[in-house]
Amino acid sequence: MKRTFFLFVTISALSSLAVVAAPVGKNKGKGRASAASEEAALPADPTPSANFSWHTWTASGGEKLEAKFRALENGIVTVEKKDQVLARFPIARLSAADQSFAQACKLAQPRPPLAQSVINQAAARLDESVNLALKTTNTAANPTISDSIFLRRIYLDTIGRIPTEQEAQAFLKDTSPQKRSNLINALLNSPGYTMQMYNWLADMLRVKDDYGKGARAFLYEDWLKDQIAMNVPWNAMVRDMLTADGKLNQNGAAGFLLRDAQMPLDGVSNLLTTFLGANVSCAQCHDHPFANWTQHDFYSMAAFFGATDGYHEDVFRKARRLAKSEELAGMGKLVVAQVLTANAYNLVDLPQNRLKFPEDYKYKDAKPGELTVPALIRWDDTKKNNLSYELADPKNAAQLRNQFADWMVHPENPRFATAIANRLWKKVFGLAVQEPVWDIDDPSLASNPELLAQLTTHMKQAKFDLREFQRILFHTAAYQRQASQIPEDPQAYRFPGPVIRRMSAEQAWDSIVCLVTGDAGDHLLLRRGDDMRNSAIDEKEMTVEKVKAVVAELQKDGVKMKGGGGKKQNANPRGIAAFYEGGRPEFRSGLLLARASEIQQPAPENHFLRLFGQSDRMVSDSNTTDGSVPQMLQLMNGPVQDMVAQYSLAIRSAKEQETPMDQVNSLYISFLSRKPNSDENTKALAALKEGLRLEDIAWVLLNSREFLFLP
Amino acid sequence: MKSDHNKLNEVTRRLFVERMAKSAFGLSVLPYFSAQSFGAETATATQGKPGFGKAKAVIMLQLSGGLSQIDSFDPKTGASKGPGTAVSTKADFQVSSFLPQTAKIADKISVIRSMTAKVGVHEQARYLMRTGFEKRGTIVHPTFGAWAQNYLGPSHATLPSSVCVNRPANHGNGFFPATMSPLPILDPDEGLQHAITKADSTVMQKRLSLLSQMDGKFSEVVNDPSIAAYNDFYESTLRLMKGKDLQCFDLENEPAELREKYGRNKFGQGCLLARRLVEGGVRYVEVESGGWDMHKDIEGGMEDRGAEFDAAFAALISDLDSRGMLDSTMVVVATEFGRKPSFDGSGRGHHPLVFSCVLAGGGAKRGFVHGASDAAGGEVAKDPVSVGDLHATIAQACGLPIEKAVVSPSGRPFTIGNKGKPVNAIFA
Repeated sequence: MKRTFFLFVTISALSSLAVVAAPVGKNKGKGRASAASEEAALPADPTPSANFSWHTWTASGGEKLEAKFRALENGIVTVEKKDQVLARFPIARLSAADQSFAQACKLAQPRPPLAQSVINQAAARLDESVNLALKTTNTAANPTISDSIFLRRIYLDTIGRIPTEQEAQAFLKDTSPQKRSNLINALLNSPGYTMQMYNWLADMLRVKDDYGKGARAFLYEDWLKDQIAMNVPWNAMVRDMLTADGKLNQNGAAGFLLRDAQMPLDGVSNLLTTFLGANVSCAQCHDHPFANWTQHDFYSMAAFFGATDGYHEDVFRKARRLAKSEELAGMGKLVVAQVLTANAYNLVDLPQNRLKFPEDYKYKDAKPGELTVPALIRWDDTKKNNLSYELADPKNAAQLRNQFADWMVHPENPRFATAIANRLWKKVFGLAVQEPVWDIDDPSLASNPELLAQLTTHMKQAKFDLREFQRILFHTAAYQRQASQIPEDPQAYRFPGPVIRRMSAEQAWDSIVCLVTGDAGDHLLLRRGDDMRNSAIDEKEMTVEKVKAVVAELQKDGVKMKGGGGKKQNANPRGIAAFYEGGRPEFRSGLLLARASEIQQPAPENHFLRLFGQSDRMVSDSNTTDGSVPQMLQLMNGPVQDMVAQYSLAIRSAKEQETPMDQVNSLYISFLSRKPNSDENTKALAALKEGLRLEDIAWVLLNSREFLFLP
Repeated sequence: MKSDHNKLNEVTRRLFVERMAKSAFGLSVLPYFSAQSFGAETATATQGKPGFGKAKAVIMLQLSGGLSQIDSFDPKTGASKGPGTAVSTKADFQVSSFLPQTAKIADKISVIRSMTAKVGVHEQARYLMRTGFEKRGTIVHPTFGAWAQNYLGPSHATLPSSVCVNRPANHGNGFFPATMSPLPILDPDEGLQHAITKADSTVMQKRLSLLSQMDGKFSEVVNDPSIAAYNDFYESTLRLMKGKDLQCFDLENEPAELREKYGRNKFGQGCLLARRLVEGGVRYVEVESGGWDMHKDIEGGMEDRGAEFDAAFAALISDLDSRGMLDSTMVVVATEFGRKPSFDGSGRGHHPLVFSCVLAGGGAKRGFVHGASDAAGGEVAKDPVSVGDLHATIAQACGLPIEKAVVSPSGRPFTIGNKGKPVNAIFA
């Protein structure tokens, strides 16, 4: 990879400007940089002012880079280089002087987090709504959780892993009355937040390394991480995904629509269910038997993407021919495919909508094979004069996607704010206010419609800042209560507390990484997209010579041409070890010790993550927390167990303690974020006397239900 | 219901707790059925049911993405014809030229060319094919293996009754206990990993004893069915680790020549693993093959995926037959839906209206075609078969009571195959 200065990551000027400066209002073209408006007192404007002047940044190791400050969020500094390319890095990697400089730049930005008083008020309003529902149904609220349960829960929910021994000790010893609030705020502003949010989004958006036949979506992955790291608001981010142009190996934001480029109708179905909770999937083929949507509705919506072309088969065929050609035989088909196939994925807008009703269309409102006309759906409760429906010029074919995006991310869109608010509530409480999250067509079916409306308002007031919105949820009394069993009927649940959850696959893995290496994983950032741009080749230039030249260039930069995809290549973790900023991850027991967001997407098939339910990223929201025999085998006998026993910081730290009692204490805090009670202490000490070692106690703690489940 | 209450006394406490836990988990109250009491009922029910109980095991080959019927088991000429041509087989029906190996064993299989469904979206269609029910937001339905285990009990003392290969265990137990969910093998070459513990047995004993004391406390305070389900998984895992049948999972025990014949790819080796597992006593094995969503380049797709399937399927059928296992093992070729008859020169879209599935062995006729699509391959022309019908057919072959309802806590009855009608014509 190109290592200019501090292994800075780059994203293209086009996409970066589009990302940061994308105007959220309507009537704006895509990819057009314009000063963000500062119309409101509340923060979360999509961009900080980009007028900071050039500065020579110095890394702690002495390397230098000239760039403008762009953002400091979550402990990550984003800068813009002379070539207008963005770069980002952990703030901890800067010299002390530049750390202060970055902090000063941030303070000068018109974008502070929400004031604590605003957060507290918003949280109190949500609590009123929850408490009222509890009272009306005569349900008792669950008791407030202890500090140690809160500690574990908030670490997992904000930064996606359990606390280290030191972090846990620090919190448990803290006597400040605001310590919970302080911890929430500190965690939301640390690098782990980016990783945790990425995992959540990756499941929802089906983020995948490999789009097939060698096409890699690394730039898209990097782009998503950039968005989270800069805390770009959800509406700006989604708008960019829907309006992006260009190739998979050019523009990260294009990766979203290109994911479904070969099956654009499925793509439309996916984005409507994901972003709006519109249950349209059946309407793709026939009128929905229960929901409102007709097949006509579906095709009218899909028509907004009817002028968009994403997958170019002619390019793919050319790539395939070249890959099979004699002259490139020595290079290996996979290598050639890896260089060329991504070029077949290219978002372009054609002069007009080409989408037709299907040949087997059987309703009277259109003829089979007739050209579709773009039209936006309306829900039963959508008011006639809803502002989001005021499209600039629905006849303008070149702007179809933009018009759709303007409508979709508009604050007054009937479902956009509700859908993401409902999803985030589920993320934090384990169950959505309205289940399932992909069908909120009738919000009166929510378990607490008033609460859902309240959440929608907060989402709009927070201007789609997902981090600030979650800050509100974490500050509610409802969140800080004991968890209940998952209810039989989600609609009857009044949220006396969150529901009991098993750690997600990512939380479990990241917690184990934390047991072994402490917080080191939070600072290891995988960046694989940088070199992809070298392989963006115009179709006309696709020749044997060009392929050879590009491959030579990539290899010179140290890019491993295999690995990171495919079946067996993917299984070799060493293939990606060269692609980290912030150091090289350790290998232990055959495992690469990086956070779940910083390894292959999804993880290789037999990886701990997959066994514990990480989605294969084929279908949205398919992470699972079901048990299985191979999971137990992993924890009892597998490489994860081996790694914890042999190499973990947790056991090393325990061994440094003088008395067996302190050793047991230390292990309990590392694994379970709490001290053992006297009974547990007695039993553990007795077991040590009977010949078990600290490694065996660690085995027990790792295999305990308490390790995996969040009460 | 009264008698059911009485029967509860016979259930061990653990089972009872497990079932209560499951019902509290929101999915279903389980009917009381022990394998024994069910056996008494079936003795009278078998009469007049073709093929009843012939199959002792089922191997379900799930082609994810949607197999093009026209480019496989239901070739067409004219406008619908794809890149392949129709070729003759050892039976008196044709298949596509993409399936040359299958053509040679066509005399051992039954093809259903009149499958029909309404769902044309991957996830929902896959769910329907796995469970026989349409996907709903409020309930999770069991896959075939869990139904069978519910009615027939475990198929082996230490091995799991259901295994799924090349896919995770979701869509598994449904509203039955979590222990009825399939054991997932994500890479057949690797088999079941880490089944042997490095620690010596006394240390392991001590660890487990300490663990159960600790977990007991936690489960007391945090009483939750999902945690109880984990307790059960630990138990079945320990049983499996102690059992002598682990080599069933190890393909290294198979001759290299046979492994080549099945194909050295995940699907091929998965099919071979399925045969080993069924031989060892596993009742239900699902093997998934991905990459069938051929919107573009069906020719390339069938040359790659199609060839893998062709070799593996043909090898599996011949292998089972030569071992005398085919008559007691039902092999099912399942898909999500078919693909459109209109061929744009490259690929085909989703098409649930008509598609093909295959049943082989377990009492199914040899060299038989059931139903037909119309000339274009766009609609069913004769004897439509729904996915529920297909499930009912497999259930009947396995000797399961397809009329017997399982009642959910809210009083909703469910039957295997969702009241589908078995395709009796397919049984020999």
